[in-house]
Amino acid sequence: MARLGRAREMLCEALNRRLTIAEVAREAALSPYQFIRTFKAVFGETPHQVRIQARLELAKRMLAMSDDPVTEICGAAGFASLGSFSHLFSQRIGASPSVFRRQLRARVQVPEDVQRTLYPGCFTLMAYWPDLSKRNFQEAPAARF
Amino acid sequence: MAIKIKLTSVLVDNQDKALKFYTEVLGFAISKDFDVGGGYRWITVVAPEGHPDVELALEPNANPVGKAFQTGLFQQGIPATAFEVDDVQAEFRRLKEHGVVFTSEPKQMGPMWLAVFADTCGNLIQIYQPSPTS
Repeated sequence: MARLGRAREMLCEALNRRLTIAEVAREAALSPYQFIRTFKAVFGETPHQVRIQARLELAKRMLAMSDDPVTEICGAAGFASLGSFSHLFSQRIGASPSVFRRQLRARVQVPEDVQRTLYPGCFTLMAYWPDLSKRNFQEAPAARF
Repeated sequence: MAIKIKLTSVLVDNQDKALKFYTEVLGFAISKDFDVGGGYRWITVVAPEGHPDVELALEPNANPVGKAFQTGLFQQGIPATAFEVDDVQAEFRRLKEHGVVFTSEPKQMGPMWLAVFADTCGNLIQIYQPSPTS
């Protein structure tokens, strides 16, 4: 199981380099077929899905924290083309990369707050609610306590 | 005493996937599920046969600190949390039928029976059956 965990980490690293399933499967000491099957059963996603998600997370962070052009971010995150990157990003995140960056910068002025927006704190998630009317359990309209 | 244990949590790599696993496979019931912005939700589940006042939050591991903690535990084979069951063997068989992967099949440890499985969200979870006398 530790080797499977390391293989998963490998999928989330060096995102702009080409990685074959055989390479990652070797890390887990499994054949490619066994690796894909076991990986899905343990992590609920295929290795490909995990790598794509890691690429999107990296792109989100770079869009928020850097001034790099979208084209560069696309390459750094390992996407083959700007078209496929924009399409996937819009589909999963709900806004194109440039719109996502604009929205984030319009809302957040302090660099530390960008970090908080991207990464909710454990147990303190509620403190980062954007809507001030939902600052605690009792006030949350959908909540039933 | 005014202080209570009412909420605990597990870090999960994907809240949709976690909700599906914790309700459809483990059998917990949704207590809260609402949007908190930034693409995240506040999700808690309760055990139908457990204490109704104790909730388990399915928290995103998006914070790198949380992710590192979760990955470290997983790679060392340490369960993120433990749930009590009436019959470990029966639960083991039921979960296996759902395709759940066990890293430790049911075994007796002192007065308890234990087993450990992967929750598909980046965690190992222990189930334990206390001895009738404990």
